Amino acid sequence: MKGWTGNILRVNLTDKTWKKESFTEEFAKKWVGGRGFAAKILFDELKPGIDPLGPENKLVVALGPIAGIPAPNTGKVVVAAKSPLTGFYGDGNLGSNVSSQLRKAGYDAMIIEGKADKPTYLNIEDDKVEFLPADEMWGKGTYFSNEWIYKKHGKNAGVLNIGQAGENKVLFAVIRSLEGRAGGRPGIGAVMGSKLLKAIVVKGTKQIPQADPELMRKLGIDGLKKARELDQKSGWSKQSTNAVLAWCNEVNGLPVQNMRKTSHPEAHKIDGERLDAARIATYGCPSCTMHCGITIHDKEGRESELDYENIGMLGPNINVFDLKQVGSLNYLCDDYGLDTISAGAVLGFYGDAIEHGAAKGDFKFGDAEKGKTLLWDIATRKGETGNLLADGALKAAKVYGKNSADYAMQVKGLEMAAYNCKSIPGQALAFGVAAIGGHHREAWIITFELKHSKRESYGPEKAAKVIELQRIRGGLFEMLVACRFPWVEVGYELENYPKFFNAVTGLDWTLENFWVAADRAYSMIKLHYLREFPNATRKDDYPPAVWFDKANADTEGPQKGVVLEYDKYDSLLQHYYDARGYDSRGIPTLETLKKLGLEAEAAAAAKVAALN
Amino acid sequence: MKVTVKLIGPLIYEGGFSERTLELPGPVTAGELSVLVKIDKKRPTIITRNGRAVVAGDQLADGDRVVISHIYSGG
Repeated sequence: MKGWTGNILRVNLTDKTWKKESFTEEFAKKWVGGRGFAAKILFDELKPGIDPLGPENKLVVALGPIAGIPAPNTGKVVVAAKSPLTGFYGDGNLGSNVSSQLRKAGYDAMIIEGKADKPTYLNIEDDKVEFLPADEMWGKGTYFSNEWIYKKHGKNAGVLNIGQAGENKVLFAVIRSLEGRAGGRPGIGAVMGSKLLKAIVVKGTKQIPQADPELMRKLGIDGLKKARELDQKSGWSKQSTNAVLAWCNEVNGLPVQNMRKTSHPEAHKIDGERLDAARIATYGCPSCTMHCGITIHDKEGRESELDYENIGMLGPNINVFDLKQVGSLNYLCDDYGLDTISAGAVLGFYGDAIEHGAAKGDFKFGDAEKGKTLLWDIATRKGETGNLLADGALKAAKVYGKNSADYAMQVKGLEMAAYNCKSIPGQALAFGVAAIGGHHREAWIITFELKHSKRESYGPEKAAKVIELQRIRGGLFEMLVACRFPWVEVGYELENYPKFFNAVTGLDWTLENFWVAADRAYSMIKLHYLREFPNATRKDDYPPAVWFDKANADTEGPQKGVVLEYDKYDSLLQHYYDARGYDSRGIPTLETLKKLGLEAEAAAAAKVAALN
Repeated sequence: MKVTVKLIGPLIYEGGFSERTLELPGPVTAGELSVLVKIDKKRPTIITRNGRAVVAGDQLADGDRVVISHIYSGG
């Protein structure tokens, strides 16, 4: 087997043991890597119903066959576990030197199980694993702990770490790396914290096995050059992802005031032009060809790294239109290890709940200073409000009652990213059927909806587009574990990725092979969901009720009076299920599972819930 | 006729402005306006008029707000 190391590192924190386990070529070809590996491993090894924050949950760090090899944007890592936020499989990706270092240490994945008896960090160097005390880092933010690790282990070390939010098991705590990257939105950082695991440090010295290293070297160098040229030609990096903020504001898709509104006259104060003007530096992941992180000085003079999602959710979603204040809120989230999207959504929800009489408190939309205090309260679970909001918008809504769940902006418990879709049905569907809950990572079809379809359409073309992008973004890139930006933002051809894959593995795959593998991974995650929620229904794939509420429609502008329509959304969902081969609950049929070679997994799921 | 043009993202640097109201001598289409403000014809763009997407051949009217953007993909 080439391309994969063929090894998984299994670490047990309870008894401080580790072992190297091998996997077969059949496993590798079926699950590819990254999300595919993680979804399969966790399905096989976790019993349904376990406490996500108990020692029986497992943290998987998974890479793909091109991860860590010089080529466009291959320096990423997938982290996964049973999510404490959503109650089923959750994952995320982040840029990290762990990508190359873990592969050089001889592993394609790492499974961390059990729970340490005191704050610990792992130091992995090739075949050696050390369980080291993390007392000096415990209670500290991610900037401190990353720097502490760099001083002790060198700046080339691959590092994954958590902040206070992970330690305190905030359900939307992330894992951080490189002092600017974050991943694992559905509380994967909380799973790490529940194991008293502050950080993972990795260094490797071996060669990553490749079928044709000379060919891969040439393809990789050519690819890096081409992707950089495309970025420079397009001018994308001038504003990075935040260029979309001005556009969302123009087309009534901006999240304003907990997504009550779709545009705001002050949005220009935090748009891409303002971000570019305030730029003090630009950051990217290892092997990055188009850096997306633009840093500015925040209100307190600290360096804060921003992109669209965190500006959208910590800015307009809570009515803050001062870029420095947005930078401060973002800095605190990053330091505490809070997911910025969920943090913005939770603050927005709290403000809305106060306005609607469901919650009590002195937070008002636009109050950045109170927002900063609340972020600390959330990260440390301080007080009744901090402790409640630390469980995410949906769980807080269940406590507040008074129909507040209608405006908890989430799907399956995961807060949605910075796109207000009450008049954008296809993107609403993309959130509704995202594999792990309301995530934008897998499919974003708004420009397609406006340019190549009709905005008000609920037709099958939109369901087909969501599936096409899920296969590419949520499948190919999440299993190879590479960043989608060169393809999705500046047009680096998709056909390059099978070439990389074939050069390292010696296989002869086309994109079609990846679509099958992607569908398999999606079905695998749906079986996770069914196993945890045997009474699953299609309603679980609906966005929040407020997007269907006429009283919440825009009162002026081109989308005046427009909201989603239940019957039409349901028919759009059915188009998606039909094209996917899912039943009326949104669960893959036995026939679909058989086609994907998931008979054994279907049999396991059928022990707790019926399959059709 | 007068048309307000808003450019998004990298188009600002290509067109040399962010937002501008233009006095046009006669009727123009959305595509013609894009050429007029020096947007590379090869660049994939999406054009909206008063918040609704239009195609290149659609005629503009006096007082329209036209937004020309690079095709984004949501990060």
